[in-house]
Amino acid sequence: MLEVENVTKTFATEKTKMLVLDNVSFSVGNDEFVCLVGPSGCGKSTMLRIIAGLEKADSGKILFRGQPITQPTPKITMVFQLFGLLPWKTALENVEVPLEVLGMEKEKRKHVAEEYLNMVGLEGFENTYPHDLSGGMKQRVGIARALALKPDVLLMDEPFSSLDELTAKTLRELVLDIWRNPTLPTNTFIMVSHNVEEAVFLADRVIVMSPRPGKVVGDVKVDIPRPRTRYLREPVYFRFVDEVVELLEKSKTKIKDENPLSLTADRANKPQ
Amino acid sequence: MRKYTISFISGLVILCVMTWLIVTFVNYPEIKNLPLYTFSTVSRIVITLLISIAWGVSFGIFAATNKWASLVLTPFIDLLQSIPILGYFPMVIGFLFALGPLGIELSVIILLFTSMAWAIFFGVLGAVRGIPTNVVESAQSFGLTGWRYIRHVVLPAITPAVISGANLAWCDGWFFMIAAEYIQYQGQVMKPPSGGLGYLLARAAYFYKDMNLSVILLIFITFIVVYFNTLTWHKLMERASTGTFKPVFRMDLSGVGKLGIARARATSWLHFGRFHWPKSFSIASQRLRKYTYIEKIIAAVLAFSAIFFVLYMVFGQFPTLAMIRAGFGEQPAEELSRLPLLIALTMGRLTIAYGISLAVAISMGVLAAEHKRFAAVFYPLYDIGQGVPILALFPVIFLGLNELFGIPGIALELTCTIMLVLDMIWYMFLNIVSAVKNIPTEIREVGQLFGFKGFKRITHIVIPSILPSIVTGSILSWGTGWNTIIFAEYMPSTEPTIPPLSLPGIGSLLDKAGYEFGNTVVLIFLLGIIAAIVLSMEGFVWRRLLRKFEKYHVEV
Repeated sequence: MLEVENVTKTFATEKTKMLVLDNVSFSVGNDEFVCLVGPSGCGKSTMLRIIAGLEKADSGKILFRGQPITQPTPKITMVFQLFGLLPWKTALENVEVPLEVLGMEKEKRKHVAEEYLNMVGLEGFENTYPHDLSGGMKQRVGIARALALKPDVLLMDEPFSSLDELTAKTLRELVLDIWRNPTLPTNTFIMVSHNVEEAVFLADRVIVMSPRPGKVVGDVKVDIPRPRTRYLREPVYFRFVDEVVELLEKSKTKIKDENPLSLTADRANKPQ
Repeated sequence: MRKYTISFISGLVILCVMTWLIVTFVNYPEIKNLPLYTFSTVSRIVITLLISIAWGVSFGIFAATNKWASLVLTPFIDLLQSIPILGYFPMVIGFLFALGPLGIELSVIILLFTSMAWAIFFGVLGAVRGIPTNVVESAQSFGLTGWRYIRHVVLPAITPAVISGANLAWCDGWFFMIAAEYIQYQGQVMKPPSGGLGYLLARAAYFYKDMNLSVILLIFITFIVVYFNTLTWHKLMERASTGTFKPVFRMDLSGVGKLGIARARATSWLHFGRFHWPKSFSIASQRLRKYTYIEKIIAAVLAFSAIFFVLYMVFGQFPTLAMIRAGFGEQPAEELSRLPLLIALTMGRLTIAYGISLAVAISMGVLAAEHKRFAAVFYPLYDIGQGVPILALFPVIFLGLNELFGIPGIALELTCTIMLVLDMIWYMFLNIVSAVKNIPTEIREVGQLFGFKGFKRITHIVIPSILPSIVTGSILSWGTGWNTIIFAEYMPSTEPTIPPLSLPGIGSLLDKAGYEFGNTVVLIFLLGIIAAIVLSMEGFVWRRLLRKFEKYHVEV
């Protein structure tokens, strides 16, 4: 479905060049739910943006069904960490706007948008502005907007990290329902997360990345039967969590020896 | 450092050569005093700047830390600054002229102060209030109180605000310098005893009507302003905002507008490295909302007592009803019957100029923020545009247009519009550029991901995100526009025999009442009317728009 081949990316500021992705390769199969896990600033969000066509890799390429991705396509859409809703549009209009860009006529796109808003449980909030929606509701709009384009691949950039845990839990279930729903064409999910428990709960495979420069340091296949809610207190769940955490710790200590300040610097650079 | 020395020395050399050339080759007697006049104008502005900093810092900290001071001082000072500054002028000089030459010097400094002080005060106020709660709390928990608190927390926190506020005050000082140094009082020109560049320029344009000399002097003044800006302010601001300095930030800091708070927030925002969008918007709405009823009442009471105090100074006693009646019986009171028409004319001029500025600023601002090639043209243009004391352009433009058309009325009307546009456009431009630059990354990415391109992108993404900033820019533009129009509708007389030229409007009526007839009663009445218009526009137009666009705010 999707191949990431030897992607390298540097960010250049005025003085320094910073390598954020170092020769990253992995592939994602059809129907697969993959999580990218790594510490802050390891380039996982950048990786996702390169897959979305929002950023260009310095070298290497992304193949989607064998075709290289160089610019955004409706076949691959994205859900944003801070929701990315246009504040001047209502919930319905926010879902409609990408359809309008695709050239769908007015009646039809309204119908489609309503259908997807219903699906994420927002009936009755069509004409509400983002300003008046709670965080969880905003993210539901974000998910509806991404799905309304009927993409093959859904990218999610830490979609639950700005929500409280209870809301996040509900939305995780919603995302899993959507993923399993056979009537929807969207069934390849790639999610970025720094929450290991979340990743193990959701994903078929957890790809572990090292701190800057981001490298793939592990690819853990999570063999827990679904639905996994039953296994949340079982040793098998913790075994996978421990395995991922161990990989993260190992990659971290390597870097720490070289530069003990690198992690704090990451946090300082992160916009609030 | 070497580069700095080179620009310092070469600038000084150019300045000396220019002075020498002008003094040698221009044949008016007053030109010989050019070095003295330059010195006196610069030192006048520097003195006023120092007074403004001292006043602004002490009162700003006081108003921000003391509950009662903030209850009384802040709304009062806010009210004072929202009244057109040039309007105070005849009132101020009215009673100071009795003091002789010293009185004239004093009145020039007072006028400069009334145009310079606010930026620093509100900058400091905003910066102190903007100190994050966690810093305040940690300072408390470590026992930093009193002077130590001010020294270790407050002073470092306000430094950027003071620097950018002082820079703004400096530019404002140059802006008003020509009005301050060429005082007309009861048909007479009051020359400041030590002269001044503003006086010289006004003299060249109004009295000698020498276009070439005016342009030369204007270039001379602009060069001085830009020279000082590069030498001091650019450097200082660079240091104040350690590391984060970029051209846009400087623009952000140095000219958001007459509302000091906006700037203060911009700096405190820089200082603590937080990302805030759109800052100008949230500040303006704060400013409009922050006063409670009690504060408004106290401010109104203080304002009235201030007016009574001035009246007392002017008349030597408290005004009686008979005096007020007498004032409305004298010149130019009969023109008051045409007041609605005059207000409409002035508002019309402002609206036209505002429309032009808006259209040009939006297209320029969006282009400059989105395309590097346009930015390369527009930013230097902005730098110079901000450096030219716009009021000083007045006589020059008028002289040029008058030669072109030969009809003084049309020339003055056009001059007035050009002046207003030149004055209003920078506030809009600045706000729009910073707003476009501050569109959150996610919103940009959404636009990119879902395929917005070209015109669709502008209408769906760019324009809506900058609407709040356009409103803020508009408030600032109208504020400065009112200041300018009082000056721009009225052309002082060149010789005693010829009456001064003026456009019908409330601004020129105010000038007549003040300059020609010295009718303080009518003057205060007109000032009250202008203040009422300004305040009701804020209440009925801007506040509503801001509330409407509040939803557009993206939490980042």
